[in-house]
Amino acid sequence: MECMFRRPIKEVNAEFIAEEKYLDSLQRTVRETCVSAGLSRRDVTAVHLAIEEGATNIIRHAYLYEKGTIRLRVVVYKKLIVFSLIDAGRSFQPEGAGRVDLERLVASGRKGGLGFYMIQKIMDSVEYISAAGFNELRMIKRIAPARPESRPFLRRLFTLRVKFSFWTFLSVLVIIGGAYYYIDRRTSQYLYDHLDDTVSSLAHTIAAQAALHAINHRSHVEFDELIVSYLQSNPELQLIVLTDSSGLILAHSEDIHNIRKPYKIPAFVSTAELGVPQRYRVNGQQYSYLMTPIRAGEVEIGLVHVSYSSAQIHDKLTRARWRIGVLTLVLLFFGIIGIYFLSNYFVRPIVNITRRVRRFASGDLETELPLEGAEEFFEISRAFNEMITRLSRDRKNIVAREKMAKEIEVASQIQKTLLPLELPSVPGLELDGYYRAAAIVGGDLYDVFAISPERYCITVADVSGKGVPASLVMSMLRTVIQIQSANAVSAKETLIKVNDYFEKNIPPGMFITVMLVIYESARREINFVSAGHNPMLLYKAGEGEVVRINPAGMPLGMPTTLGPAFEERLEEVQFTMEEGDAFFIFTDGITEAANREGQQYGIDRLINLFAAEMARSARLEISSLSKAIISELDDFSGFVKPADDITFIVVRSQPPESTAGMDLPPDSEEREIETKSVKNPGPEPTETN
Amino acid sequence: MENISISLSESDQDRVSEVRVDGVIDTTTAGELEEVMDSLLKRDRYRVVLDLAGVDYISSAGWGIFISHIKEVRANDGDIKLANMITNVYEIYELLEFDKVLKVYSSVDAAREDFPATSGHQSKKKASRSRN
Repeated sequence: MECMFRRPIKEVNAEFIAEEKYLDSLQRTVRETCVSAGLSRRDVTAVHLAIEEGATNIIRHAYLYEKGTIRLRVVVYKKLIVFSLIDAGRSFQPEGAGRVDLERLVASGRKGGLGFYMIQKIMDSVEYISAAGFNELRMIKRIAPARPESRPFLRRLFTLRVKFSFWTFLSVLVIIGGAYYYIDRRTSQYLYDHLDDTVSSLAHTIAAQAALHAINHRSHVEFDELIVSYLQSNPELQLIVLTDSSGLILAHSEDIHNIRKPYKIPAFVSTAELGVPQRYRVNGQQYSYLMTPIRAGEVEIGLVHVSYSSAQIHDKLTRARWRIGVLTLVLLFFGIIGIYFLSNYFVRPIVNITRRVRRFASGDLETELPLEGAEEFFEISRAFNEMITRLSRDRKNIVAREKMAKEIEVASQIQKTLLPLELPSVPGLELDGYYRAAAIVGGDLYDVFAISPERYCITVADVSGKGVPASLVMSMLRTVIQIQSANAVSAKETLIKVNDYFEKNIPPGMFITVMLVIYESARREINFVSAGHNPMLLYKAGEGEVVRINPAGMPLGMPTTLGPAFEERLEEVQFTMEEGDAFFIFTDGITEAANREGQQYGIDRLINLFAAEMARSARLEISSLSKAIISELDDFSGFVKPADDITFIVVRSQPPESTAGMDLPPDSEEREIETKSVKNPGPEPTETN
Repeated sequence: MENISISLSESDQDRVSEVRVDGVIDTTTAGELEEVMDSLLKRDRYRVVLDLAGVDYISSAGWGIFISHIKEVRANDGDIKLANMITNVYEIYELLEFDKVLKVYSSVDAAREDFPATSGHQSKKKASRSRN
């Protein structure tokens, strides 16, 4: 149905409950898909916002917060993503039917329409289709390629290919140039030597012929003919002069008038060097001058002077150099083009790797480099794949850990809201509660609440285990106690009802110990039960003693198959709070608090401390008592991290104004009070802890 | 859900109220900010600087608070100025063209200084507050 010309790369379908708390998981799906499709970071955030608007709109307006589901479909194409949010609720007409205008929104001073405005701004196309009881909000977002950081133009010009071509060109040029220079030197040297040799042998021939003429006493004309014929057949020869042994001219190719006159040898020529060419320059042209003796037998009878030029060779060489130069340049030009394309072959694997790395960078953690190509690229690919594997594993771990930390934090916040912020005031009693979790989320509970204006429930409980599960059960427990206490006449009845609930609903292997106290303010009467909890410490002001009371009872959630039924074992204790009497209920976090040596604080220390503090602080605020207990505990355990939550409630019957505190020995005697069971007394009071 | 924390400091000298928000402003948390804004406007405090350095995300519920109040605030010679946005938030602000409506500043002080000096008289509430 999507009339896109290309096939989709990926399609994601998911269904979510239309409640705000499920938005997070919907968003996670969207986000992951967007990231893997290569959407830029900014666009991912923007899409997140648009989807939130769309989904919130469905929850609020299509379903009016009632039950329903949101179907999410994300279809990824090469260059765009199509998001569809589909619901079966009421269809709505987007405000103003068409584009929402920001200025009008501001002018209206209302918030309606802002969401739709944002969707329109973020998405490249938005459609709302209502048909057959379903509404579809279809939004299309173009995938803009993430813009790479711009580099200076010159730097971008120097790609690997260009560099490769340039250096190859340069080295080929140097090699060719070197070779050419060498060959050129050799060749021209050879040519010049060859010319010297040729002229030298010519001069010898002329000398030999001149010698014959001289012996035969030929005329000057014949000498003249001799040199003219040689001049004509050898264009490199410039001048030929024949002289006799006394230096008089026999023949001169340029001057026939000075026959028999002395020949003036040019100044630059050394007469000593016979048979050796001597170089000289006239008007920038190079010439050579060669003198060869004319011999008749062993006797030197004259000299042949020859002057010749290397201009012809020079011209030839220059022409040859030009030709070679041009040819070389043409070949190099094609060579460079060839090298450039050849370099593609080497660079292509790098381009491939770059593309994959970029895909990885844009969030496709599944990408892998193919292990192929030259050994070097094979190694790079392998190293990269290893890196990816490790990175994505770490990332998954981090994501999981972050998620967990977040959940725990949420649980901790929920838990904090579940524990009473402030204890209610109870007529005739002073109360103080304390709670400190060992982990971020604890499993202890304390609560004080009014059942009716005359009846109050004071409770401390310890859920086995720590962390999120324990805290969830603890929050359940608090609710159940509050509900059940309203329908029960006594502590015992309340706890039996609470147990009925937990028997069915507690996770296996988990159990809860509870101390549940009900206080009737009119008669100052206490009745309480303990489901396997630590004993209550009761301070009798009259005697100045602390007793511990530990009625029988099994923890909530214990399998009933192990022994007598819960209600049969449960004992209820009743007593009246005299003025100044106090009791202390707590969890085993106190008695089991350990110090560095591994010693536990223990109940005896606690009893002594409680007795001493009660006596000392009879006229002080009750909170000073809890402070004393906490600081004593902290002193004891030092810097040892507590292993369990520490929770207690201390309750004191308000002394009349006149009653002064009584002095008591700090070491008060302790005794077990006789427990008074209401019905079905259990076999023996059990001591927890 | 995510948390939000809002702290408010009001100065009588330049009549500027500085609202520091940390966390996420979305459907679930926007209510708190809305209350703070409402309480400010009710007390004729129309010069508001929002320090958004600790805000990671603002949804339409959040933007809606600014957009829906800006007219009334400006009608009373005040302004809502946004300071210290993080890049993520700023990019969205730009994309949605809110720069046409709301001013941003790189620091709270810069935003503060951009308010005209207070003249002796305090502007009285003129526009009636439209609630829906």
